[in-house]
Amino acid sequence: MQIFPCPFCGPRNETEFHFAGELGKVRPDTGKEVNARDWATYLYAQRNEKGLVREVWLHLTCSELFVMERDSLTMDVRASKSLRGDAL
Amino acid sequence: MTSHRTDRAGLIDRTQPRNFTFDGKAYRGFEGDTLASALLANGVRVMGRSFKYHRPRGPWGAWVDDPNAIMTVTLDGRSFPNCPAATTPLVEDMQARAVNAWPSAAFDIKAGLDLFHRWLGAGFYYKTFMWPDWHLFEPMIRKMAGLGDISRDAPKNYTADQVHDHCEVLVIGGGAAGLACARAAAEAGRGVVLVDDHPIFGGGLHQSVQIEDRTPSEWIADQLAAIMGAGGRVLPTTTAFGVYDHGLVGLAEYGAFGTAPHLHRMRADRIVLATGALDRPVTFAGNDRPGVMAVDAACEYLARYGVLVGRRIALASNNSLADAAEAMLTQAGAKITRISPQDGAIRALGGKQLKGLAQGLRRHEVDTVLASGGLTPLVHLWRHAGGKLDWCAARQAFLPGAAPDGMVAIGAANGTFDLDQALSEARAIGAGNASDAAARTYSLTPLWPEPGDKGRQWIDFQHDVTLKDVELAARENYVSVEHLKRYTTLGMASDQGKTSNMAGLAAMAAIQDRPLPEVGTTTFRPPFVPVPFEMYHGHHGKQLWHPLKRLALEPQHRAAGAALGEYGGWLRPGWYGTGNRGDLIRREVLSARNAAGIFDASPLGKIEVMGPDAEDFVNFIYYNTIRTLKPGNIRYGFMLTEGGIVMDDGVIARLTENRFVISCSSGHVDSVREHLEAWRQDGNNPDRIFIHDLTQQWSTVTITGPKARDILAKLPLGLDLSAQAFPHMTVQETQREETPIRIARVSFTGDISYEISIRSSRASDLWDKVVAAGEPHGATPIGIEALSILRAEKGYIMVGKDTDGETMPHDLGITIPRLKKKPAYIGDRSLHSDKANLPDRKALVGLAVGDGDKVLPTGAHIVDGTLSRSLGYVTSSYDSPTLGHPVALGLLENGSARTGEIVSVWHMGETRQATVCAACFFDPEGERLHA
Amino acid sequence: MRDDSKKWDAPGAPTTLEMSDGLTITPVQLARQTLLSGVDVLGRTQHPIAAWSGVVTAQTYALSLRRDRVLLVNGPALADGWHGDIAQAVSDVSDCYSVFDIRGDRAFSVLKRGAELRLDVPSKSVARLLFGLGVFLYRFEATDTFRVHVFRGQAETFFKSLKFAFPSL
Ligand SMILES: [Zn+2]
Repeated sequence: MQIFPCPFCGPRNETEFHFAGELGKVRPDTGKEVNARDWATYLYAQRNEKGLVREVWLHLTCSELFVMERDSLTMDVRASKSLRGDAL
Repeated sequence: MTSHRTDRAGLIDRTQPRNFTFDGKAYRGFEGDTLASALLANGVRVMGRSFKYHRPRGPWGAWVDDPNAIMTVTLDGRSFPNCPAATTPLVEDMQARAVNAWPSAAFDIKAGLDLFHRWLGAGFYYKTFMWPDWHLFEPMIRKMAGLGDISRDAPKNYTADQVHDHCEVLVIGGGAAGLACARAAAEAGRGVVLVDDHPIFGGGLHQSVQIEDRTPSEWIADQLAAIMGAGGRVLPTTTAFGVYDHGLVGLAEYGAFGTAPHLHRMRADRIVLATGALDRPVTFAGNDRPGVMAVDAACEYLARYGVLVGRRIALASNNSLADAAEAMLTQAGAKITRISPQDGAIRALGGKQLKGLAQGLRRHEVDTVLASGGLTPLVHLWRHAGGKLDWCAARQAFLPGAAPDGMVAIGAANGTFDLDQALSEARAIGAGNASDAAARTYSLTPLWPEPGDKGRQWIDFQHDVTLKDVELAARENYVSVEHLKRYTTLGMASDQGKTSNMAGLAAMAAIQDRPLPEVGTTTFRPPFVPVPFEMYHGHHGKQLWHPLKRLALEPQHRAAGAALGEYGGWLRPGWYGTGNRGDLIRREVLSARNAAGIFDASPLGKIEVMGPDAEDFVNFIYYNTIRTLKPGNIRYGFMLTEGGIVMDDGVIARLTENRFVISCSSGHVDSVREHLEAWRQDGNNPDRIFIHDLTQQWSTVTITGPKARDILAKLPLGLDLSAQAFPHMTVQETQREETPIRIARVSFTGDISYEISIRSSRASDLWDKVVAAGEPHGATPIGIEALSILRAEKGYIMVGKDTDGETMPHDLGITIPRLKKKPAYIGDRSLHSDKANLPDRKALVGLAVGDGDKVLPTGAHIVDGTLSRSLGYVTSSYDSPTLGHPVALGLLENGSARTGEIVSVWHMGETRQATVCAACFFDPEGERLHA
Repeated sequence: MRDDSKKWDAPGAPTTLEMSDGLTITPVQLARQTLLSGVDVLGRTQHPIAAWSGVVTAQTYALSLRRDRVLLVNGPALADGWHGDIAQAVSDVSDCYSVFDIRGDRAFSVLKRGAELRLDVPSKSVARLLFGLGVFLYRFEATDTFRVHVFRGQAETFFKSLKFAFPSL
């Protein structure tokens, strides 16, 4: 059981969190033409890195969506940061 | 047989005799004994039979390292399988039986298997039973395999308490090092928890005469008093069975025999491993014979239980600890013959009864062989935590190397085998200082299995793996240690190779002529010792196993005789009344079609989206255009995944300019809420959109059927219910006795329906009034089963039942947004992929069968003429009470173009015909819906 | 599907459970619970704010749930919906959550059966998982009294979990 730091709530048990995706996924502007390759990359291409990763997680109990930096090998958690610009 | 109990006091209470039986024979031991020590005291050595060859086995170890003596223990009519005799405390009236032996360990009928050992080597079962089919042999082999039998009855009052806990410093192991470290840490002001798996602390210290001018017991008591005096906690009979992420340690705290252990999920800022070391076996011919034991085990049996395991003892050790053992055993009355196993191959003589030990031409007439090939530090927990191991040539052992975060090893677990040095190391670490390395007195001559040696030499006692099996594995190229393990099952028994892994690795290294550290170790995984499944289970049983959400109206449903069942995480009425369930459901359908059905729709999602950007947000979330929805109106729509797959369907109501209510399906509320929250904060402005899940604030009573309006009119709500004033797909808000009421005219049946929502504490009052108002019209409560039929008649889908993981909205006939909707929405681009554009996509269809035909089975495949390929399948299928014939929905390749086509429907070897039709069997014009 | 009515105990009317050592579980009837969401709603509330693991002593107070959300307990009646003037979303949730007080020396120990809780680790939010259920948990009036808000549909499960956590209840 890991301990994840929610930027708002502080450290909580991993059961309170859901993985939301790798950081850096930007939704293509579908108001414009998006070619199939770009869309497929957005949908399916995952870096799935070994070692230091930056991911987006959702804290289920407070609904905070945030960035967490952790090591996918050692499970060390380095830091977490709100996605909000005006974060506390 | 004469007693092996000596004058040495040990830690047992000789004023408290304990009577017990083993394989039906009565014996007596004392309070403080284990089953193994009591049997050894009674001269019993054969305590079990090996797994594969049914060889007689006696204890090798005195604690968790013993792989051999495994028993089924019955106490007070309850039996517990696979109790290790060396760790099971003796209790009055215990009845123990050796596992894998019938009728008894001493005389085992299957022992004849041992004669066939030449053919039963590693891989025997894999190789032999491949042809013609493993499944022919499997039942017989399964019956022979395994250790112990599980009682058919779940023991009563056997529930593990599970608690979360935290400490600053967790010291694992209460021997000299652990005690000294815990004391130093506690006195330095740390919050300390000290655990040890023995009932009495001290580890191997009880073998000593004195420590720091005190007797071992005095010294141990001093340390414990000091630890507790400084606020520390001590937990005896507690096993640290696993280390998990971020400093979490699983602790199993055992109470009286037959009670479930307590699970402590201990989160420790710092973990000190003081788990000690094990004597490892010497690999020689007949080394599995009862009477061959670890040197340290003999000392422990003497020190803790006052049991001298033999009188004429051969001591075959390669290390410097043998001197102390010899002195101790000699003083207790044993005659010791020292053997240097490294001077030439040795072999045990005799069968069930050990007759002696031979080395070359020399024979030693002894009744017991004590062996030690050196100490192996217990580094299991270190490896669980991801710590590295370094090979130490001087000690011929893997020692803790690079440390995992927050963990440190001390004492014998760290290779510090000398007491004085271990104490100074423990105190330094406890006080938070680095430990200084002092000179070591421990020494040994390397001693490892030698391939090619004669005789059957056991590597893994519990799984019957011999040196020859390792050689065979090497010949067949299973040379990686992980392959070796799986091919021979070395280290895969319940002892997880505590005594066998090192010998196995060393044998493989020798066979391949590689240095031992290069061969490496297999992965150490929790649990360190077997723990009952109950410990993981705890309170998660019965109604708490998969707890359901409960309706505010459940008392009303129960009073009405509802059959309750799980639907989408809620306990809901399936139907009402007693009698034939099919008839009851049919009657409910007919009353809904002829008069009205009254339905508890409370679990339907009620997620409010509010704020200045609410409109843009829901327009982005939904496939359908929501922007154009006027306040007071309702629209049906889909939510899609970014892959374009239908994730949920339902209606959305716009109450005001900046307030929407999303009525997602009952089972999807939690996932839809998360979906909305994630999108709200990712790519939208979360300061202008707010989402309140009010699903449980409101309860909803639905009236559906031709009399719905008449029934609703009887409730004094002061609303104009005419079709003009309150048309289909609109919502009205009103109040009754200052309680807000919301009425949505939407339908999931195809008949005129009103969903009346009220705060949950007032729901029972509303329900009673609606039922009373409906009664004169012939309206009755209906359950989900009737509703499922009603909606299928009308061709209304249930997402996840009538759709699958590939279904897109245009497969369901909702095509306009895909073609026309301009602003971005979730999943939009995926609806125009090559796959989305394929003409033969599976689409929703109706399936009609001839009059008098049976209902098509749900899940049946629609197949092409040659039965070679599935074109789709039946998703919903019922005998329609309304129409008097079966109706079915299905997903079918190129379905919309196949209307009128006759298709084959295959199920369990039977093929039937059905006609593809529109997915709507009831009121296709919608006259009743809009009435 | 089958009839599982017998498998599930009919939910009883909530009653106080009391043990000999003084541990009690008491259902609480609050006058009102109101969900308020908006930018800086935490900074703008006039009422004492409850977070973990401080002790709330006021009768009207705001539970800090999220960066932009509070649950106002026993506050004034407010209309549901979007309040443009104060830029806040308002919902009456008085019937959404059932509330219990767990009091006594062993109260915290009972709760630790359901979650990894530490009094020395503060949290800005009182929302957490307890026995696998989403709840609001905080100390109310005394250091040995814990107040829990749990979804009403899960109150029965919560109560059973507490009973299981201490079989002697
Ligand atoms: Zn949080």
